[in-house]
Formats: sequence, C-alpha cells, structure tokens
Amino acid sequence: MGSAAGALPLPVLGSRVAVRKRVDYENSQEGGLVRRAQSGDEAAFREIVERYQSKVFSIIHGIVRQRNDVEDIAQQVFSKVYFSIRNFDFRSSLITWIYKITVNECFDYLRKKKVRKLVYESDLSEDEARRVENTEPAVNRQAPVDQNLARRDYVVKLLMRVSEEERTLLMLKEVEGRSVEELAMMTGMNENTIKVKLFRARQKLVKAAQRLDRNPVAG
Amino acid sequence: MHQVILDRLEEYLAGTPGSREFTAHLESCPACRTEVSGMQELSNALGVLRAGEEVTPPAGFYARVAERVEQQRPRSFASLFWLDPVFGRRVAFASLMTLAVLGSYLISRETDYSAGPTNPATVMAEQAPAQDPDVMLATLASYEP
Repeated sequence: MGSAAGALPLPVLGSRVAVRKRVDYENSQEGGLVRRAQSGDEAAFREIVERYQSKVFSIIHGIVRQRNDVEDIAQQVFSKVYFSIRNFDFRSSLITWIYKITVNECFDYLRKKKVRKLVYESDLSEDEARRVENTEPAVNRQAPVDQNLARRDYVVKLLMRVSEEERTLLMLKEVEGRSVEELAMMTGMNENTIKVKLFRARQKLVKAAQRLDRNPVAG
Repeated sequence: MHQVILDRLEEYLAGTPGSREFTAHLESCPACRTEVSGMQELSNALGVLRAGEEVTPPAGFYARVAERVEQQRPRSFASLFWLDPVFGRRVAFASLMTLAVLGSYLISRETDYSAGPTNPATVMAEQAPAQDPDVMLATLASYEP
C-alpha cells in the first residue's frame, strides 16, 4: 500500500487506531478448525460448510436473486473452499475469505449469464432481433414493476468495473454494514488503508456511473 | 477531495452526522459537495444487494457439495488405470498390438536388403573417389568457392 499512501493523503486518525494489535486468529478455535480442514479432515470441512452455508446462501440470493441458481453457486463456493483451503494464510478471517469467494462466484455467474444472453441474441435472425429490439422499450415502460431488478442490474454493472478487492470491501461496508474498524479486523489491514481503498473504490464507482449514464448500451 | 472530508467520509456515508468542521466545509466547497453527493447516492444504491430474507439451505446440501468436490477432484494419470480396470486393459492391449505391428514391420524391412559384397576391400574400392589425375584436375578447375 506504499504507492497508494504516496498518491493520496492518508486520513488523519486518532491515536486509538494508530496501530492495532492483530487478533491471533490462527490460534483461535476457528483457526484450529481451519488447520484441521487444511490437513484433509473431512469432518472439519463439513463443520465449515454447516457453519457458513446460511450466510453464503443469503449473500448469493442478495446478489443474484435467482432462487434456482443459488444452490448451484453455493455448491461451487464450497467446492472452491475445499480445494483452496490449503492456501488460506490466516491474514483475514475465514468468513471474510469465504465472503470474497462467494462474491466472486456471483459476479462470475452474472458475467457468464450476460455472455450467454449475448450469444443467444446473436443466434437470432434479423427479423427476430428487430422484434426483440422493438419489444424492449415496452418492457421498460413497465419500470415500476421491475424497478428493483433494474437498480440491482445497474449496481452489478458498476461493481463489475472495480477490482475484486475493491468490490469485496464495498460489499462488506455497504451491503453487510461493517464498520471500517471491523473491516480492519476482518482483513488484517489497518484502518487508514481500508479508508483509502474504499475512497478509491467509491471514486471509480462514481466515474463508472457517469460513463454508464452517458452510454447505457455500453454496460 | 479535501482532507477534512476524507477523514470522516466513511462515518458520514454510514449515517453518522458530520462534525461542525465537516459540515461547514461541505457547505463552502462545491467540489467536495458534488463528490460526496455522488458517493452518497451510490452508497444508497448498493443497499439493493442486501439479502432481504434469510435463505435456508435445502436438506442434503453438504452431501451435494461433497459430490461436487469428488467430481472436480483432479485425477492423476495412474488413477485412471486404478479406477477403471477395463480402460487399463484396453490401453495395455493397444500397446501390445502396436509393439507387434512395429516389430513385424522392422523384421520385414531387414529381409528386404539385398545381399551386397561382404568383403570390406570390395566395398572400399567401390566407394573410393576417382584416382584418375585428369578427373581430379577437372574437378579442381570447376571448383568455385
């Protein structure tokens, strides 16, 4: 974060947050569970799944809103957790790590879905494509019905334009309602770094929103 | 954005009322006001991704995760033979057949060679360059570096 600190004035914070002693997560009860899972203990992995499955389902449902696909994405999340748990380095908490995997899986899913939609549209004949084009404004006129869905799509498009790390931080802050202090604890970064990263992510979002508003088709 | 705003931005966006200094600066600085307003708008918009309801995983979820893990587990080359003996036998049979075909081909090629001179002196005499001085001179004269 050296370069970021050089480019942007760091927020001046009180002495209470100057240097935070990191919680010894590795030696906590959950740290022990992770170490067991890392050594191939299936029971430990099962405990991790059972402990966090509800949380993962809720996160996915919040982002994707497609009930039919929620379980499939959740399975993929825990499969990734299984295969990557050996790389978990205790720099963040387990839930932060799982949260990041979950958010990435959701955005991968939405990206693939968008590509599939484009492929489907490219398969249409000219007449069919024209018909679809002509029906779209009519659908938009029913905006109040789908307003929430449209807002969600808009937010998803914006979040696709920031980095994975920025997306996770923004989601934890704005969607999960975590404070900067909690984010610092969860990620192992200091509060100044979190504030700078969030500020930069917000700047990118504002710019992306301006671009998207000017040229909605590009999204 | 000015430092006074940057310091308290996250608290402000989270709903904590800004300090007197913060509010005063925001009122007097149009650039900061515009930027904070844009960020505030997007901060509210992100709320749409909040999970509205608790989603309970369906029964048997762990079993299906375990199944997917098994499907995605990378298999070693050797495990192909262990896990599927029929496939292993087919590979072994195909290898033996290839060896047999290759072997018979090589043997038939060897018998095709006609019996040449067996005396080394004869072979050397046949392969030796011409000893005629005229031929040698002609060769040297036609040599172009």
